[in-house]
Amino acid sequence: MTGDRILVVEDNELNMKLFHDVLQATGYTTLKAYTGEEAVELAVSHVPTLVLMDVQLPGIDGVATLARLRDDERTASIRVLALTAQAMHGDRTGFLDAGFDGYLSKPVDIAELLRTVEELCRRGKRPRRGASLIDRE
Amino acid sequence: MARSAVPETSLTRHWWAALTGGDNRLVRAVARLPVTVRTKLLVGFLVIAALLVVVGVLGLRFLGQANGRVERLGTLQQRAAVYNAIQTEATLLRQLLGFRAGGESGPAILTGAKTSLGGRRWVLVDGEIDFALSQLGPATSEATYPFVPPADDERLLERIRGDHRTIGVDLVALTKLDRSGANDSRGRRPLAAAINADQDLFEVTDELAGRTTDQTDALIAANRSAYTSSRNLFIGVGAGSVVLALLLGLILSWSLIDPIQRTESRLAEIAAGDFSGHLDVANRDELGSLGSNVNRMNGELRRLYGELETASRHKSEFLANMSHELRTPLNAIIGFSQVLRQRLFGDINEKQDEYLDDILSSGNHLLSLINDVLDLSKVEAGQVELEVADFSLRETLERGVVMVRERAVKNGVQLSLGLTPDVDTVRGDERRLRQVVFNLLSNAVKFTPAGGNVTVTTARVNGEVYVSVSDTGPGIALADQERIFDEFQQTDVGVQHGEGTGLGLALSKRLVELHGGRIWVESAPGHGSNFVFAMPSEEP
Repeated sequence: MTGDRILVVEDNELNMKLFHDVLQATGYTTLKAYTGEEAVELAVSHVPTLVLMDVQLPGIDGVATLARLRDDERTASIRVLALTAQAMHGDRTGFLDAGFDGYLSKPVDIAELLRTVEELCRRGKRPRRGASLIDRE
Repeated sequence: MARSAVPETSLTRHWWAALTGGDNRLVRAVARLPVTVRTKLLVGFLVIAALLVVVGVLGLRFLGQANGRVERLGTLQQRAAVYNAIQTEATLLRQLLGFRAGGESGPAILTGAKTSLGGRRWVLVDGEIDFALSQLGPATSEATYPFVPPADDERLLERIRGDHRTIGVDLVALTKLDRSGANDSRGRRPLAAAINADQDLFEVTDELAGRTTDQTDALIAANRSAYTSSRNLFIGVGAGSVVLALLLGLILSWSLIDPIQRTESRLAEIAAGDFSGHLDVANRDELGSLGSNVNRMNGELRRLYGELETASRHKSEFLANMSHELRTPLNAIIGFSQVLRQRLFGDINEKQDEYLDDILSSGNHLLSLINDVLDLSKVEAGQVELEVADFSLRETLERGVVMVRERAVKNGVQLSLGLTPDVDTVRGDERRLRQVVFNLLSNAVKFTPAGGNVTVTTARVNGEVYVSVSDTGPGIALADQERIFDEFQQTDVGVQHGEGTGLGLALSKRLVELHGGRIWVESAPGHGSNFVFAMPSEEP
């Protein structure tokens, strides 16, 4: 379809397979990362349009990984969608406040996932904070 | 409290603080005494009683002394009276004897008598003298005294008695001569002797009377000064005792009150959940052990509280992990089923589609079970915090109806919403109440046979908002009506249905109760069920 590149960050093999297959079948190019560190490396080297980020990861978790992406100028404007199996009440606003562009709780409805992915890809890059400051000057 | 009532002068405050503060050295010293409070109080009271006894004994002694002086003064006055009487008689005797000797003066009874009286004529005067002597007699006889004369007086009195006897003997001789009518010259000798004796009598009597008067004056003066010094001493000792007793009482009470106040305020802190403080009681009595027990209790409570917090944290972590561990495989189950059913990877036959539906519905059932168990655990652990806000109950009910509409249509059940205009904005956790409404609606739709009705209505009664979900289902037996709100309890109909977890109503009940409300069912077998929940709500 669009050919947008999507980085899937997920430590569970089956879920990785599910997201990867669905996205590929829908026409996206996918990259696989099983840890936060891998995700940062791949994001820097391939600059995907969107990152599908599992929040509970071994090592640095999804929130910390997001923070690293946002701190790096090369990856700061990449859209990141949080996926979490820890659907605690009040998480939604918490994740959005943390800097995610969207949030879906597991188990994910595949149709909803595809809708959300398409929407975020359509929106393109995040407006960059630094850039907007320079523009103002 | 008591301290703030003291005038705000710095000097007064200083003194008051010094006397009543727990940091006073004396108070601390009394507090540190290794004896029981009872002993301290007993000793305190005994000391105060002893002071009272001292003051009392002193007072009694002074009273006794004063009484002794009064008695002595009375005796002195009696002595003075007796001695004065003796002196009077002696004076009369002296005059009579002088008259007898020279005839120049005499008592009034003899006026008119010739100056040169011989022999028998003197008999009358002798009689007078004899009478005066007889008057003097009892005065000199100790037996008639209302007192015991002192040794000095006794000596003089002895002389008086001697003179009295001498005069008596002389008078007898004189009288005898007078009766015989003898010449004056023969009577001179006993007369002279009598006058001599009388002279002595007069002097002694005078001395006795004078001395007694002097003694009386001296005693009165001594009384006055003794009274003054006794009074001063008594006032001094009395005032000293009062001050000492007050001081003792004050120190004793503050050595008890101060630790009680400290303990009281520390206990108030502990009751408020502050376990950080330490109670410092210097007492080595019951209050001291009370203080150390309070500290021990504080330590134990702090430890238990810490353990409870740790346990609670572990439970939260466990719940979070459970949620994660159960949802992760469900994500794969539901996701792959959805992918297949959406035919993302090619076509599937009807049977496969049916099975996928079964997998999905089982997966969703498992998901709702997991959600209910986790929610219930969180409610029980007190970890559900309501996000209370004003929201539109009407919208919530409409949304709930929308969520079950698909199934109602599939089951052939008619859904209707009957809202009253006075129930719209209410206060509570919208998400949680939506959970309750959804639960009641899905139960109603589930159990109502095709062609039946499910109706949602609202009402505002006595400051409460009522939401009722009634159906035309099989109804619930009275015996089951309480039970179904307990965990894992289902009616036979529910069990036969093979759906539901037996947790929905239990969770709904907890959630409604968290809002300060209540939930119940009105039903009879064959007559449908009416589930109602009521929540306190202020009039709009």
